Amino acid sequence: MNAIDGTTSSFHVRSTDAPPPSLLVIVLDTNPYAWSLLADTLPLQNVVANLLVFINAHLAINHANQVAVLASHTHCVQWLYPPPPPPLPTDSTGDVLMTEPDQPDPTPHPPTDDANKYRPFRLVEQQILSNLRSLLTSSPPSSHTTALIAGALTTAMTYISKATLLASPVAAPTHTHTTSSVLPTADAINAPADASTAHDPLSSRILIVSVSGDLAAQYIPVMNTIFAAQRNRVPIDVLKLAGDTVFLQQASDATGGVYIAPGLEVGAGKKEGEDAAVVRAQGILQYLMMGFLPDAAARKWLVLPGAEEVDFRAACFCHRKVVDIGWVCSVCLSIFCEPLPDATCLTCGTYLALPANHNVAPAVVPRKKKKKKRLPDGGTPRPGGSTPAGSTPGGGTPMR
Amino acid sequence: MRSYDSKAHRHTRLRQDTQPFQRGIIRHVVLILDLSAAMAEKDMRPTRYLVTLKHATTYVREFFEQNPISQLAVMVMHDGLCHLISDLSGNPTHHITAIQSLRNPVNPRESPREPKGNPSLQNALEMARAQLYHTPSHGTREVIIILGALLSLDPGDIHKTIAACARDRLRVSIIGMSGRLKICQEICERTNSGSDASYNVALDEPHLRDLLMSTTTPPAIRSGATEGTAEDGAAGPVGASLLCMGFPSRTITDAPSLCACHGTLSRGGYTCSRCKAKLCSLPATCPACGLTLILSTHLARSYHHLFPLRNWIAVTWKRAREKGTVQCAGCLIKFPTIPMGAGVDDVGGSRRDKGKGREDEVMENGGESQEERERDQLSKELGASESSRYECEACEGHFCIDCDIFSHEQMHNCPGCLSKPAFSTVMEEDGNELANGTANGMNGLNGAS
Ligand SMILES: [Zn+2]
Ligand SMILES: [Zn+2]
Ligand SMILES: [Zn+2]
Ligand SMILES: [Zn+2]
Ligand SMILES: [Zn+2]
Ligand SMILES: [Zn+2]
Repeated sequence: MNAIDGTTSSFHVRSTDAPPPSLLVIVLDTNPYAWSLLADTLPLQNVVANLLVFINAHLAINHANQVAVLASHTHCVQWLYPPPPPPLPTDSTGDVLMTEPDQPDPTPHPPTDDANKYRPFRLVEQQILSNLRSLLTSSPPSSHTTALIAGALTTAMTYISKATLLASPVAAPTHTHTTSSVLPTADAINAPADASTAHDPLSSRILIVSVSGDLAAQYIPVMNTIFAAQRNRVPIDVLKLAGDTVFLQQASDATGGVYIAPGLEVGAGKKEGEDAAVVRAQGILQYLMMGFLPDAAARKWLVLPGAEEVDFRAACFCHRKVVDIGWVCSVCLSIFCEPLPDATCLTCGTYLALPANHNVAPAVVPRKKKKKKRLPDGGTPRPGGSTPAGSTPGGGTPMR
Repeated sequence: MRSYDSKAHRHTRLRQDTQPFQRGIIRHVVLILDLSAAMAEKDMRPTRYLVTLKHATTYVREFFEQNPISQLAVMVMHDGLCHLISDLSGNPTHHITAIQSLRNPVNPRESPREPKGNPSLQNALEMARAQLYHTPSHGTREVIIILGALLSLDPGDIHKTIAACARDRLRVSIIGMSGRLKICQEICERTNSGSDASYNVALDEPHLRDLLMSTTTPPAIRSGATEGTAEDGAAGPVGASLLCMGFPSRTITDAPSLCACHGTLSRGGYTCSRCKAKLCSLPATCPACGLTLILSTHLARSYHHLFPLRNWIAVTWKRAREKGTVQCAGCLIKFPTIPMGAGVDDVGGSRRDKGKGREDEVMENGGESQEERERDQLSKELGASESSRYECEACEGHFCIDCDIFSHEQMHNCPGCLSKPAFSTVMEEDGNELANGTANGMNGLNGAS
């Protein structure tokens, strides 16, 4: 036992000195429609090449750093790295399964290996490129024109949660024990407390390289992942190359991530014209290296580029339209873009009275001033604190 | 590593939260702390008083985490009186400062408040009633009392006060520290439609914490409450209404400008969606046009209550063989290899395995009643999986237990379902139907109301 303790503590000394390893999950939006619009100025292969340099830089910073890459396509979410699972057997005869499924994906090594390249870099690059190529060539023409960002984010979060769990085998049992013994609502208390007291064994973050807009259809799942990321302190960084998505901006704002939209800076872009915007987008490597490379530990000491202006609009449940003024059901908080035709909530079915005066805001009422006004007439302090039993509430604050 | 037990337990517990029902999401809560002499007792370390203050602080944070658009007020019962220490508001720091200043007053000339005298439940209830009187009818009106004393020294007839509270549809929860009191039970019963489930006595400090934290979950709306009209006003949050709300965006201006709420100069702020007045913080009511302004993220936080993720079922070896899954669809971890012959002819499987396999066959034969089918479904959802796989029935993806727990407890999304375009089209075609394996939840919700 002592011997074991001795070895582990010596490891600990080393690991606490070094910065904690970080896991970077990149969600690459591979929506072919959006990329075809960018083909002249910023083709996908340029972006991928720059991303690979960025990934290498990330891996080079700390030998324990990990990377995972997800392609968020129009009809599926595909792992680019680590390699995706081998194709499922088409039938259930069992013959296929007799083969050992643990075997690694037999990807053919291209003969043109660059002997001068650091091997881990090369392996990651090969995997990503070959998987991306097969995804793009094999994907059928799809009628869906938006990328499945919610699915990619959800998968990224499950991957991160498992990686965190694996990185902290000691902390895991205590965590489960406490949370399973108390009521479900107390989980939220435990989770942040655990996260903050324990030394982070692995700091994770997500980088979304997004080109497609219109995420309104995925509003609720995207918001769910944002809260999960927020709770697990996983910053969501966004590099927005094209398109317009309100919700990714909210994602990076809520999770403390970096949001950079090189081609879309509203004020500057208009002044300098389209060309300048394109040129800025072409300097993508600089954005990646300067904006997104620092990990959570380093970011504490940096002034981060951030979107100070954040679009907080929501999507309505009825038409998936992005709205800035909406009608909200007081029972279930569903958002609708217009007053409901038959005054019944589409989500929960409750009969909803429309307030007589729409402008009267019911939910938040400023109360302070009223109270102060009422004090002199009704609220004289009474010795003994007795309350007139029949005092009408609202007629004053009887006790002071 | 984690024990089998805790996982199974966890999986069991998952079930409760996936039953969809309406919850009062806009809440108005008065938290009343006991500051009577009984709180100086040292049966909780260091004293009941300090323990209560500590948990009250955490409670405020957790309350607003769970109920972002709700409002809270904090009162204390001290020496026969009830004092309001923080007004009904949606600002957690305001309440936390107020609670902390009980012991460490902001004004150095004030002396810290120490437990003294007797509490008066009547005074406290009257004061809470006054505080909640003007709250809109679509929200809940709740009073949560932490009571250390074993008596209540009231100036008048407390039964009249209880009746008045019930009439004003207040719901009172009391967490005792010493023993059960008849009057507390009566208060809880009268204000909670005859159920005294909201009266609990904490046995020790962790129990106190659990009891307190359990009140951060939005309460279920009582049956019959939604059918009631705004006029009867007897029980539950009646008078549900459609609220007009604005979701303003955050802006930064080059030059500082005056805000509409305080009249101070600032560069950043939120602009009202309707009239473009600038506000410092949200949620708020626009001082210029009266529109309720909130962050849409405040609303979105509660949507998983609305569309709970369907439970995933344990996968038998047979089913695992059918699907041929080798790794978790969420985290890519490798599943245990399917043993030779398992699930095909029941040879080589454990006894448990046989039982499962047979159940499965029965299921497939379909010659059974709806009830049996439901029971089967239940046992599938509750049990631990022999193949370490859990299947989402909507997308037929297989996941490990860790992803199952994470997806259901924290994310409320299914990684498999969201990675298929079919689900997003469902949503686009029919706004009422949502993706994410929650279709059953939606139906249940519609049926329940
Ligand atoms: Zn709509
Ligand atoms: Zn509703
Ligand atoms: Zn202001
Ligand atoms: Zn306004
Ligand atoms: Zn998993
Ligand atoms: Zn699913």
